[in-house]
Amino acid sequence: MSYKCSRCKRDVTLDEYGGVRCPYCGHRVLLKERSRDVKEVGVE
Amino acid sequence: MTEDYEVEFVEREEREARFVVRGITPAFANGIRRAMIADVPTFSVDTVRVVENSSVMFDEQISLRLGLVPLTTPVDEFEIGDEVTLSIDVSGPNTAYSGDIVTSDDLVQPADDNVPIIELKDDQRLEAEADAVLDRGREHAKHQGGVAVGYRHLQRVEVVGDKEEFAKEEPEILRGVIEDDGELVATETFDNDLTNRYPGKEVEVHDIPNAFVFHVETDGSFSVDELVTAAIDSLHGRATELKEAVQL
Repeated sequence: MSYKCSRCKRDVTLDEYGGVRCPYCGHRVLLKERSRDVKEVGVE
Repeated sequence: MTEDYEVEFVEREEREARFVVRGITPAFANGIRRAMIADVPTFSVDTVRVVENSSVMFDEQISLRLGLVPLTTPVDEFEIGDEVTLSIDVSGPNTAYSGDIVTSDDLVQPADDNVPIIELKDDQRLEAEADAVLDRGREHAKHQGGVAVGYRHLQRVEVVGDKEEFAKEEPEILRGVIEDDGELVATETFDNDLTNRYPGKEVEVHDIPNAFVFHVETDGSFSVDELVTAAIDSLHGRATELKEAVQL
């Protein structure tokens, strides 16, 4: 699961014990990035 | 139903036409109308693979818009269920139009180049691949080739006398096509108002039995001629099928 820190814009990987916090700048607001896979949508 | 019927055009363009058909029953006229709407297949985007979409709209909304873009459909070249792959790749700041769609088969491409899909701001991008499928209007409205298809009776205007001298001057609105001395006149030519054409006259309007004025417009998938012929063919095909099934 990859996130992006909203303050320093760096990619952040969360682990089980670290809590929700950017390891580089300590900011607690992380944004989830869109997955890179191709998404197939049906047109209804 | 009579064996012979005649067709006469009032106006005729690539995507829009008006014509009079004489000698057919109301049921048959409605059959043609319904066949034009629901039975003539056109290509439409059916599945979209979104590679990147950083625009403000959801993938699903964009897919829906791609699905509604009319695609040219050569008649008799493809069969129902055939697929053609399309793709689009636009980066902001720019507006993605239907004209940006790239096709794998030149026979199937957007009918118009100026259908807006989405406006992209700085750093926004839309990249997607789509499969267009040939199907009928009865499966989904996006596959309708004929839009604004309808018919009404051809009408005859009869002058029955003069108006009273001090009669109120009220407009007599009539929309459609009238027959006057064997000549077909669209009511738009006299601003849909019978008092312009017959000033000071008392008139009566009658429907002419078994004569219908069709107004047909296509979404650009094919010309009006192709749409009407394909609709008749499908009607004929089903009638033949029924005949053979009943004969045992």
